[in-house]
Amino acid sequence: MAVAHVKEYLRPTSLEEVLTSLREGGKGARVIGGGIELVLFSPPDVTTLIDLSELSLSYIKENEAGLAIGATTTLTQIIEHQTVAQYLDGVIVGMLHQVASPLLRNLATIGGSLASANPWSDVIPLFLALDAKVTLFDGKYHSIPLSDLYPTRSHLSGSILTEVLLPVPASGTAASFHQFSRTGFDVALLNCACLVKVDAGRCTVVRIVAGGTPRLGAALPAAAETLMGMELTDETIEQVAHVARESADTRDDRRASAQYRKQLIYVCVKRCLQEIRDRLAEGKQ
Amino acid sequence: MRITLTVNEAKRELEIEPGETLLELLRREGYKGVKKGCGSGDCGACAVLLDGRAVNSCLVLAVKADGREVVTVEGLADDEGLHPVQQAFLEEGAIQCGYCTPGMVIAAVDLLTHNSSPSEAQIREGISGNLCRCTGYVKQIEAIKIAVERMGEGADD
Repeated sequence: MAVAHVKEYLRPTSLEEVLTSLREGGKGARVIGGGIELVLFSPPDVTTLIDLSELSLSYIKENEAGLAIGATTTLTQIIEHQTVAQYLDGVIVGMLHQVASPLLRNLATIGGSLASANPWSDVIPLFLALDAKVTLFDGKYHSIPLSDLYPTRSHLSGSILTEVLLPVPASGTAASFHQFSRTGFDVALLNCACLVKVDAGRCTVVRIVAGGTPRLGAALPAAAETLMGMELTDETIEQVAHVARESADTRDDRRASAQYRKQLIYVCVKRCLQEIRDRLAEGKQ
Repeated sequence: MRITLTVNEAKRELEIEPGETLLELLRREGYKGVKKGCGSGDCGACAVLLDGRAVNSCLVLAVKADGREVVTVEGLADDEGLHPVQQAFLEEGAIQCGYCTPGMVIAAVDLLTHNSSPSEAQIREGISGNLCRCTGYVKQIEAIKIAVERMGEGADD
């Protein structure tokens, strides 16, 4: 059997029940969304599964703060949502189409994608660049920046991730995501997400994030700093991509070498920023 | 533990283990059209429709299907004949060893149910989670295009 050591399966109907079950289950208790990773990796210490599917956390709502997406919403539901398709020229949908396969996207949840913190995740770098916030429930609701969740995920201890919020983009903002993988379906050898806000031709907000380095997506502050106050020109884009390549902490693994990844960062950052410049130019017309 | 689910329009009450996958359950119950390939979500041979969406049944816990509707390749044909996707696969010869075919057909049915006029790129993406080691995919893509046309004609009636 796939996950032979699982003895108990719970499907609580309230968040309080989830917390109680987590406490009672101790180290053997695991919260599941789509449950893909549980079956795939079959961790031997897991004996109790707490399924979040009966908590009404599958939703996408638009409010004054932005787009709120419930934790158990599948990646397919997000792709097919019309409001998400319009968010920053469809950058989220464009990224999600590159994640795994349709079959897996029908199962994978956004909460699972963020909470499991896989280093090759395409979702996390883009959501970091978009300055997403997550809501955690530990008896009370807390909203924290997604960036505070990583790398330790200590906030998730004794908490449930219930929602991710993508803020309303300020005017003059564009974002882009690019990744490299061996096949359309394989996990990224390297991915990159950028967001830039331009005021009177100058970049006033810049976020550049690289993932699959092969570690979890993380900001490249030196590259972002290089672009601050500058115009998006061929020269500055080249300069920023160069700083990204030099400052990124890449490593070897069985998929690619550190050196190759550095070159991929250079190419990815360049493509992202060129696309952002095009999107900003289109927006002005 | 016991779960109740619908498989190919038949209501079933089944005894399962909490760690069992939907793939293991369906094959044990005789739905042998559901193939086990990689067991890790890479090949798509085990695809079934779960509430109308194609999923890798090797990565779905059987308990997750409780109260839901499962359609395997065995459930696609009706009294009038094969599903248009199956018929097109047959006519186009979009099969060789046949091992990937049930999963490929299920993925295509999900695609065409949610997008009645997919582009070739969308068809390719739609079956991107299904590996075929024999055919090279060309005939499957042609078959799906034919199914799109026929299902469109049916919708006009």
